[in-house]
Amino acid sequence: MAYSNKVLDHYNHPRNVGSMDKSDPNVGTGMVGAPECGDVMKLQVKVNPETGVIEDAKFKTFGCGSAIASSSLATEWLRGRTVDEALAIKNTDIVNELSLPPVKIHCSVLAEDAIKAAINDYKTKSGVPAKETATA
Amino acid sequence: MRFYEALGLEPALMLDAQDLQRRFYERSRQWHPDRFARASAAEQQKALEVTAVLNDAFRTLRDPVTRAGYFLGEHQIVSSKHPPAELLEEVFEMNMALDELRSGDESARANLVEARDRFVILRNEIDHGLSALFTQYDKSLHGNPDESLLLAIRGVLDRRQYVANLIRDVEKELNVHVSN
Repeated sequence: MAYSNKVLDHYNHPRNVGSMDKSDPNVGTGMVGAPECGDVMKLQVKVNPETGVIEDAKFKTFGCGSAIASSSLATEWLRGRTVDEALAIKNTDIVNELSLPPVKIHCSVLAEDAIKAAINDYKTKSGVPAKETATA
Repeated sequence: MRFYEALGLEPALMLDAQDLQRRFYERSRQWHPDRFARASAAEQQKALEVTAVLNDAFRTLRDPVTRAGYFLGEHQIVSSKHPPAELLEEVFEMNMALDELRSGDESARANLVEARDRFVILRNEIDHGLSALFTQYDKSLHGNPDESLLLAIRGVLDRRQYVANLIRDVEKELNVHVSN
């Protein structure tokens, strides 16, 4: 499998690898996986409750290069966005940015699922409906 | 189900390995393309097709895990898109532990071997559990097939896939250390 330069760059220099305190009320955690390929992806966002802006994003992915690159890119994009803007990120955006081949599209889907799971976790924990958070 | 039919079997999750092999050899001999060298083009083609299906069927059915995957696929039960959170947590933790060992020096080798052995034991446990579920499901085939068992089997197979990947990863790591 020939990876694109952008995938290789994220794979060799993954951005924002790490984890944040799961119990922090401002941290949302998303854990997703694809059993067929054995991938597991953890993505976390730290949201400023006043502004609804994602101040920090971290990930740790066990899987192929495309899965790592997709989640690495996702954390880059998440920083500085509001929660609602984050939910607007589509897997196709990731596919285009990384030039993922058709057989690796599921990696971008996994990253999108991880974003949604993390945001949902944050929303559930904070108990604040998304719209209010975004416009506050 | 095509692969079972090809070998003259009723679909079931438990199969006798010797019986399966005997059926495969019998039919392979019977349909061997060499025996159709002087037959019509249509018959030659048929022999080729049957042989190809027999090969696929035997390869798929002889291994309990690929067999179950095929069986579930025929029942439209595919791998879960959203595996249970406990499974993901478990797999994540196992991967983290492996990651830590990986970044260590040669002294981590013993720990890697230990981790590999632990994963292999876990895989064996999973396989025992699978056999029990297979038997239970096959029993239900005499009355009302218990579809919920198939879903349970899918979950176990997903977990097994993760563990199998961990074993593959740790063995790769051990081989790297050997060649150094």
